[in-house]
Amino acid sequence: MTTPTRTPPNGAVPLLQVENLVKHYPITSGIVFKHKIGDVRAVDGISISISPGETLAMVGESGCGKSTTARAVLRLVEPTAGALKFEGEDITHVKAGRLRELRREMQIIFQDPYASLNPRMTVRTILSEPFKIHGMEEGNRVSELLELVGLAPEHADRYPHEFSGGQRQRVGIARALALDPKLVVCDEPVSALDVSIQAQVINLLEDLQNDRGLAYLFIAHDLSVVRHIADRVAVMYLGVIVEIADRDSIFERPAHPYTQALISAVPIPDPRKERQRKRIIISGDVPSPANPPSGCRFRTRCQKFRDELNEGERSKCIEEQPELIDRGHGHPAACHYAEVEKVL
Amino acid sequence: MRETLTATTLERAPEPGETLLEIEDLRVHFHTDNGVVKAVDGVSWSIARGETLGIVGESGSGKSVSAMAVMGLVPTPPARYESGRIMFMGKDLLKADEKALRKIRGNDISMIFQDPLTSLNPVFKVGHQIAEVIQVHEKMGRIPARKLAVDLLAEVGIPNPKQRASEYPHQFSGGMRQRAMIAMALALDPVLLLADEPTTALDVTVQAQIMELLLTLQQERGTAIVLITHDLGLVASHADRVLVMYAGKVAELAGVDDIFYEPRHAYTHGLLSGLARLDVHRAERLEPIPGQPPSLIRVPSGCAFHPRCKLATQVCTDVVPELVMQDRPNHTAACHHSDQVALLVNGPAAAQHVKSAAETTAAGPPVAEAETRTS
Repeated sequence: MTTPTRTPPNGAVPLLQVENLVKHYPITSGIVFKHKIGDVRAVDGISISISPGETLAMVGESGCGKSTTARAVLRLVEPTAGALKFEGEDITHVKAGRLRELRREMQIIFQDPYASLNPRMTVRTILSEPFKIHGMEEGNRVSELLELVGLAPEHADRYPHEFSGGQRQRVGIARALALDPKLVVCDEPVSALDVSIQAQVINLLEDLQNDRGLAYLFIAHDLSVVRHIADRVAVMYLGVIVEIADRDSIFERPAHPYTQALISAVPIPDPRKERQRKRIIISGDVPSPANPPSGCRFRTRCQKFRDELNEGERSKCIEEQPELIDRGHGHPAACHYAEVEKVL
Repeated sequence: MRETLTATTLERAPEPGETLLEIEDLRVHFHTDNGVVKAVDGVSWSIARGETLGIVGESGSGKSVSAMAVMGLVPTPPARYESGRIMFMGKDLLKADEKALRKIRGNDISMIFQDPLTSLNPVFKVGHQIAEVIQVHEKMGRIPARKLAVDLLAEVGIPNPKQRASEYPHQFSGGMRQRAMIAMALALDPVLLLADEPTTALDVTVQAQIMELLLTLQQERGTAIVLITHDLGLVASHADRVLVMYAGKVAELAGVDDIFYEPRHAYTHGLLSGLARLDVHRAERLEPIPGQPPSLIRVPSGCAFHPRCKLATQVCTDVVPELVMQDRPNHTAACHHSDQVALLVNGPAAAQHVKSAAETTAAGPPVAEAETRTS
């Protein structure tokens, strides 16, 4: 069994370290005399680290803060509190000039290949822009990049609308890789694509990782894809990480009730298995991050809280926010009554 | 429990297991400036009472258009019905006039769409919209219809239904909007429900809630459900029979177990092999189908799948494969090489011949084989 936090070889510094990251969006009221009346606590104190060449997946329902985390890591949104370290350097407050240099090292692939490419630019313009911005020689790089992602160099003079969704996502990947980054944040990179195209793009991402030693922060809601591509998985709920472990531990021995419900809700393309599976159905929707429940944030939907716990045990869930620690399951889970349950 | 409405155009209630809807050789073509889009090109299927038929395919495979045609929601022009019949309990819906169709829609057949935000009217309260459906079809006053709408919202599991009924769609979450859509679709107890990607826009936890709800309603009322989706997992867990569509045609039609364990079309087999799975940890690469789905304006000659098919030979380029009965009962597939697909599925040894040498060393056996061994 591997340990949940994989230490990088020979004790090197992790590529990215996120410590107690917090991102709150203010809710304001009034037009002339604007004043703050509350906070949307999109990300509320998460800590992760990613080693070179590793894939860390973040999963959770919409509104759990996974995309905000991805953007805060690149400083596309300014974190409210917490520290970001890239290769040991504190980048939480670095100025625009240094930040631009850092962005060579960390890039992002967006979910929607239709919205993330400028429709008025040819693919050549799109792909040569990173070199212009950073004042670097472009040379023959555009053709090389296109070949790298499985497109033909002749495609360079076409516009985004001339491509299919899968090809557009390849252009998006080529743009992210133009400056040879070390970390790529993938925000739902395949969820807008057709089933048969998804596998092609996943394979491409894996090949690129193997060839170039890329580290991925992989944001996804499709757990099947995560099972395939991730080394470690962090499960988020309402702005906090509720469980984090290596891939096989998360899927085979989930300890947090939310992780269990999430995994059991995904249908498996295997009718005989499906007929035997027990499905944990959690009720309702994710509560508003402006006003999260006290204590354990998941308790309002928790099947364990509802069915298994007695009054005394419940009051602990209501009063005390569970820490993300290992309670003897081999990996950390933020539940007072964490218990491994097989749900596959 | 609310009272059951009796409005129907049917002369009698269908028997359990009786065929409700039969589509024969349906062709829906769109005439555009760029050419003829053959969205549905000779498709036949049927569904019986209480049954769930899964229709799977990629975007542009014609799966939605065939369902829209049943509801009479495909505008003509630009669409043209080149051929076909849609027989619903002995009546041809394609020949029915708008007035007759309007009676059938909602009463006997209803539809749930993918995006509940665009299918609900943003300027009317949800309760009002559900009551409207009831009032159009029933001789019922505004107040009882409104009360019934609240009952329906309660039935689909919306908390505080009375208060929620007087809210607008934007005040609902995605899952609740879809529940409201289902309440509206089920208001008049249809015998057939067409669900077009009902959960695609939702989170998995909410998807599980919605599918559970549909299943309960189906068991209580014997509703037949056509489940249109691209999610093979959803089909595996909910469908009785599965129709696989490719480029406007039926590729394969069989019972759910046959589709997943004994596919006979190269496309079905390819889809299953290329799937990342939650329950299997495979360190190897996925085996995707190369290329992309064809444009329906320029469908490849012969078998439309041949440019992407690793089994394709000359005959696939020249001859359009017929949908023929396979070696198993109630299993049809339109593939020239269904015997080779069977080998790929059943005999790992035989399968190695077809794969290229490089692939054989790099990749393990396809998923379907692993399944046959474990089951």
